Amino acid sequence: MSTFHDSASGSQPYKDPTPLPDNIPKVQELGATSAPLKSAAFFIGAYCKEYNEDFMLCKNESRGDPAHCLKEGRRVTRCATDLITKMRENCLEKFDAHWNCLELNNQEYFACRKPERALNKCMFDKLGLTKTIPGSPQGKTPIHEVASPVYTTVQR
Amino acid sequence: MPPPGGFEAVKYKRNLPFRGPSGLVILGAVTAVCAYGFYRVGKGNLEKRELQREKVWSRIHLVPLLLAEGDRDTYRRQQAALEREKEIMKDVKGWEPGKSVYNNARYRAAESIVVL
Repeated sequence: MSTFHDSASGSQPYKDPTPLPDNIPKVQELGATSAPLKSAAFFIGAYCKEYNEDFMLCKNESRGDPAHCLKEGRRVTRCATDLITKMRENCLEKFDAHWNCLELNNQEYFACRKPERALNKCMFDKLGLTKTIPGSPQGKTPIHEVASPVYTTVQR
Repeated sequence: MPPPGGFEAVKYKRNLPFRGPSGLVILGAVTAVCAYGFYRVGKGNLEKRELQREKVWSRIHLVPLLLAEGDRDTYRRQQAALEREKEIMKDVKGWEPGKSVYNNARYRAAESIVVL
């Protein structure tokens, strides 16, 4: 006998176990949590710029259809995975220090400038990637390089 | 006759002890402190704007990645739902699985995610 189950009121969210159809190539999901992603965000933006822009243009063209941009989406994920792997190969300690700091500080960048600068320096030396914030005022020190900022944590 | 050593001096000067800095000095000091405070507030506001910009751009850089992952999952669920629909409605004649209820080619997300 079948009964009605409201999936919205279940104790567990409903998970559809069906895998992707076989005609779609498989890609390993990135699987990083929010703090490592936030730590790596500007490097993902710098390293995967073309793939990201391509994907977003495709999304704009498809008006929300998820089937339309699967190929571009796989490229985006592969590129991000590639970058995270490279970061872990080259700057593992600095990366770990920064995202652990973010994890402990409500994921605020301003609270973690010291590990961030170490990570930025390592990323520039090893991979040639720099953190740039688009749209920040010309001719001023970018916010992540200000020596004595007004906003800091209570405990230095 | 005067006492030996003479009379003591007559106290005729006003006795006004020093009672702290003058009003003008206090006013100036308060103005200076306030001016420095407002200078810091102004600097802090400019900095807050840049911090907000940094936060927003860190999220913008992550949008394609998260969207791509979500899209794959949505597509997988869509295909699973389509298969279920085909299986359930296979005996109904003239039923087109996955056909939109609207006479419009525009994509619409499914209203119900799963029917158990």
